[in-house]
Amino acid sequence: MTRLAENTDTGDRAETDASQALPPPTLSYKIVRGLGWTLVWLGGLTLGFVAHQLWITTFFAKANQAELEVALEERFAAAEIVEVEYVPVVVPGQDPPDERDPSISGGASGSVGLLKTESAPEDGSPFAEIRIPSIESLAEGWTVVEGVRLSQLKNGAGHMPWTPLPGQPGNAVISGHRTTYGQPFHDLDHLTAGDTIEVETAIGTHVYAVTEVFVVRPTDVWVTHPKSGAWLTLTTCNPKFSARERLIVHAQMVAGPNAEVILGRA
Amino acid sequence: MRRIYRMLPGPTPVRVATSIVLVSIVLIALHFFYEWVGSNFLDTGGTVG
Repeated sequence: MTRLAENTDTGDRAETDASQALPPPTLSYKIVRGLGWTLVWLGGLTLGFVAHQLWITTFFAKANQAELEVALEERFAAAEIVEVEYVPVVVPGQDPPDERDPSISGGASGSVGLLKTESAPEDGSPFAEIRIPSIESLAEGWTVVEGVRLSQLKNGAGHMPWTPLPGQPGNAVISGHRTTYGQPFHDLDHLTAGDTIEVETAIGTHVYAVTEVFVVRPTDVWVTHPKSGAWLTLTTCNPKFSARERLIVHAQMVAGPNAEVILGRA
Repeated sequence: MRRIYRMLPGPTPVRVATSIVLVSIVLIALHFFYEWVGSNFLDTGGTVG
């Protein structure tokens, strides 16, 4: 080893001579060296994984967001908005919306007013922008696409297609990444009751007030079930950097183009 | 790495080009592998059910 160290600055030939002078490596030496290199490679791969998840997925998600914002503006301009009769549906086991005046009657048809609806977005296409003023990363807004498949959630946040669109009666559900792909829902746990969530669609801006923030198991689909009135449910992974649980935010509509009809203030 | 480079056939320019192609293939494969691991175990996107 001393000879090798002395000869390192004299070129390859000296290094070769030195190695030739060394005794042949033993089996234990080979095993330790192999183990060492394996650990070095595993460490490199792990560091690469961390860098990929934190920065590379976010880079791609933000690049996608720039394109989605343009497509969203086009949808806002082109979406077909239709007014339909709104017949409130009370989900069994739930009270009607607290703010509804019990004296309101829908008459023979059950209709209590005209509800603005928009054409259903295509699978994977952007249709809304979510803004949460109390969360810095979402204060500027994040474009939401239709669908919650892994490929669609690479854009950051997606709407569950089997739930109503935001701004409509029922329980609209939006899922989003917490630590990767732009981490739009990173600070969702900072929300408290009363914080507002704005969702802009082709109809207008719908404002929801947070009612509760809680954690469930990933299989607790009841959080997406229909509800009386107009609700928004946000779901994301919990704790951070783990998919072990889900963080749920329930919020109730308080203002927007359909609020008066749905909440019975018409 | 050096050993793999020396095993590549052809003169230096061919070896360099082959190395770039091989490294690109490895990086792309790693990208998809990392995506799969991250989306299935680290952060699934928060969906329920």
